[in-house]
Amino acid sequence: MDMFLYMDLNTYVHRLDPRTKLLLMFLSFAVGVMYKNIVMLVAALVLVLIYGGMGHILSNLKRIKVVLIMITLFSVVIWSIAQSGETRFLIFTLEGVLYGIMIAIKTNLMIVAGMVFLSTTKIEEIAEGLVKIKVPYRGAFAFSTAIRLVPMIVATSYTIIQAQKSRGLDLESGSLFEKIKKYVPLMIPTLVSVIRGTNVFSMALESKGFGYSNNRSNFLQLKMSGHDYLMMLIGLTIVAVASYLKFDPTAYNTLINLFPWGDFA
Amino acid sequence: MSSDKAIEVKGLTFTYKGDDETQAVKGIDLDVERGEFVVIMGPSGAGKSTLANSMNGLIPGFMKGKYGGSVLVNGHEVKGTPVSRMAKEIGLVFQDFEAQLFSTNVNLEIAFGPENFGVPRDEIVQRIEKVLKTVKLEGFENRQPATLSGGQKQRLAIGSVLATYPDIICMDEPTTDLDPVGKLGIFTIAKELHESSDFTLVIIEHETEEALHADRVVVMKDGEILRQGNPLEVLREVRFTDEVGIMSLQIPKYFKELLNCENCDLPLNPEDGYKFFQQQGLKIDQGKYDQLVSRDEERRNGYGEVVLSVEDLVHVYPNGNRAVDGISMDIREREFVAILGHNGSGKTTLVKHFNGLLAPTEGNITVGGKNTREHSIFEIGKEIGYVFQNPDHQIFADTVFDEIAFSPKIRGSSEEEVKERVSEALDAVELAGYEEKDPFSLSKGERQRVAVASVLSARPKIIVLDEPTTGLDYKEQKRMMELIKKLNDSGHTIIMITHTMWVVSEYAHRVAAIKDGKIMMDGPTREVFAREKELYDSYLKTPHIVSLSNMLDRTVLSIEEMKFCTGGLQ
Repeated sequence: MDMFLYMDLNTYVHRLDPRTKLLLMFLSFAVGVMYKNIVMLVAALVLVLIYGGMGHILSNLKRIKVVLIMITLFSVVIWSIAQSGETRFLIFTLEGVLYGIMIAIKTNLMIVAGMVFLSTTKIEEIAEGLVKIKVPYRGAFAFSTAIRLVPMIVATSYTIIQAQKSRGLDLESGSLFEKIKKYVPLMIPTLVSVIRGTNVFSMALESKGFGYSNNRSNFLQLKMSGHDYLMMLIGLTIVAVASYLKFDPTAYNTLINLFPWGDFA
Repeated sequence: MSSDKAIEVKGLTFTYKGDDETQAVKGIDLDVERGEFVVIMGPSGAGKSTLANSMNGLIPGFMKGKYGGSVLVNGHEVKGTPVSRMAKEIGLVFQDFEAQLFSTNVNLEIAFGPENFGVPRDEIVQRIEKVLKTVKLEGFENRQPATLSGGQKQRLAIGSVLATYPDIICMDEPTTDLDPVGKLGIFTIAKELHESSDFTLVIIEHETEEALHADRVVVMKDGEILRQGNPLEVLREVRFTDEVGIMSLQIPKYFKELLNCENCDLPLNPEDGYKFFQQQGLKIDQGKYDQLVSRDEERRNGYGEVVLSVEDLVHVYPNGNRAVDGISMDIREREFVAILGHNGSGKTTLVKHFNGLLAPTEGNITVGGKNTREHSIFEIGKEIGYVFQNPDHQIFADTVFDEIAFSPKIRGSSEEEVKERVSEALDAVELAGYEEKDPFSLSKGERQRVAVASVLSARPKIIVLDEPTTGLDYKEQKRMMELIKKLNDSGHTIIMITHTMWVVSEYAHRVAAIKDGKIMMDGPTREVFAREKELYDSYLKTPHIVSLSNMLDRTVLSIEEMKFCTGGLQ
């Protein structure tokens, strides 16, 4: 089973330099953090989806659709109860529902932006990109290794769930407390296997000369091209415009008036 | 410092931290000449891996413990030299190929080593090309390692180590998890490396048949070297290999036991065995052979009802991979079926349908009259038990008792009954008295038996075992198989996936060989093993004794059978 998020394609987005993609991801995060306005966040989400569509990786979102939907549901339900407001029906408030939607879009925006990055960038490119922006190699490698280990852990726990189910473990029934207890037969073998696996992993790393010297050479050649500068420029321009909207009171008011209920600044 | 020797081990002792009582190696002396091909053999716990890991500095650099003596590799004192520095001199390949590959494609995997040593990019490109040719992976440059077969992955692991241009390669049980032809691929590469240049090769291996190509074989047990020398001579001494607990070569063992001679010049492989057989004026006693065949027949007539039925099964994974492609088979009560196939042939996917872990894309599975589509794994689990390949994927409890009691407890058995079932299961796997032990402190063979017991305690009628002998040494394998045979004799239906061909030939009643999701052959073991050429095309190789008998136009499955029906003795 293929557990890697990276999709091995050759699209415009895949060919971009990892630094460009890293920047675009952080810009998306910045917009996500900066705004509490539904209109702005929806616009940002649409842009990120277009960018992902250019990389032909939107099908990867299906793999995390449960996560995305759960976040949306929880956010809407919890905020609609927790947020105070005037338009009340039963225990819910309309303001709360809107606030929940806003938080859901905010979170999903960041997840999708991260997903686009991981689906279009090889792990080695991430590490190399980080090195190019002066992150020490060991740090960059540790970061990329963490990403690498996720699929390994998922695959192992999948096998373990099957093994325990075969012995009669029934994860679906029972009270919450009983359910938690049922996870013990899954946790222990998973931990044991992961520790064992990472041990071999680190032995294999050292046996291939990892950490021999600080002057590493590189098989991957990263080069910024015109497209990279273009994409960075587009990204920065969008964020600049967004910041202008945020900090100029008149402009911001115009934005709010588009959908007055969707603003929580 | 003399550098004419590739490896010089002098009085090496090592005791792992946390296991202060046993010395893993006890004062080993070993010299390996430049360009030599050495195979190290021995049962589990012999200290083979400890020796390998101390050659590239993982011991004492990575694994801590009490270290004594010295190891020189290409004149470098290993102790005190970082592992990453040693990587220039010696490349180490591990058994677990999944965990040692970590790049997104084949090119990058191979480039990783040279990158660490700052090799210029142009040269890395050249090295990749050269290495891929050596390990026969040309054309796979941009493939993700995860999409390769087991044999290809292990070859890639070898390639990734070769790329740093060490002149010594050490492989620690590189073929354990591979199918027979995948194994052969690794040994072919080893042989070519050995012939083409002055590579020094050290391979730790269980397979006796493959050790014959080495210049020298070193046999270890309990942290000591018992014997070393020319493999042809060492492995001819059947009495010695039997004693140490490594699998004896079948051909010399057969002739030795048949002719009862101590020091005669016995043949080692089937071809020489055939000539020797003729020279000695031996022949197959047709009457006795017919007895064997009719015994098979009787056994077949004694089977019960169909307990598991597979109808036109197709399974397509979400990524579009058609892992099982139209398989039908019926399995009757008390049958002992071996399912064979190369890595990735779809055999594990097939058997995962048997207890409902996977649902068919098309077709139906019926277990004890229940369609797996309509019943939960929990319900089907009463009929069929599934022992996974790696016991560590299911062991979680603090004591052996709790581990085995898990299944009956979860099924609501009373305390009395749980106790009864646990002791019954422990008796069956010969681990009575182990109730209060910590399962994690047991040996691999014992953990495997705990895993079997934990499935037996649910009292299933059918038992599925996924590679129950992988990673065990010969004695443990034999013990495991005797246990499974006992279960079969006591009325259990056995379905077993395996790569170990001698296990199949000696124990299975019926063989189903799978290739690319389809059944290539399905029939009584004797009939299937007669079709050696077809098996080979499905990446499977018959054991030596079977090959010898096939040359004589009969098919016998074990040394005992062969002895039974050999005639013409003076």
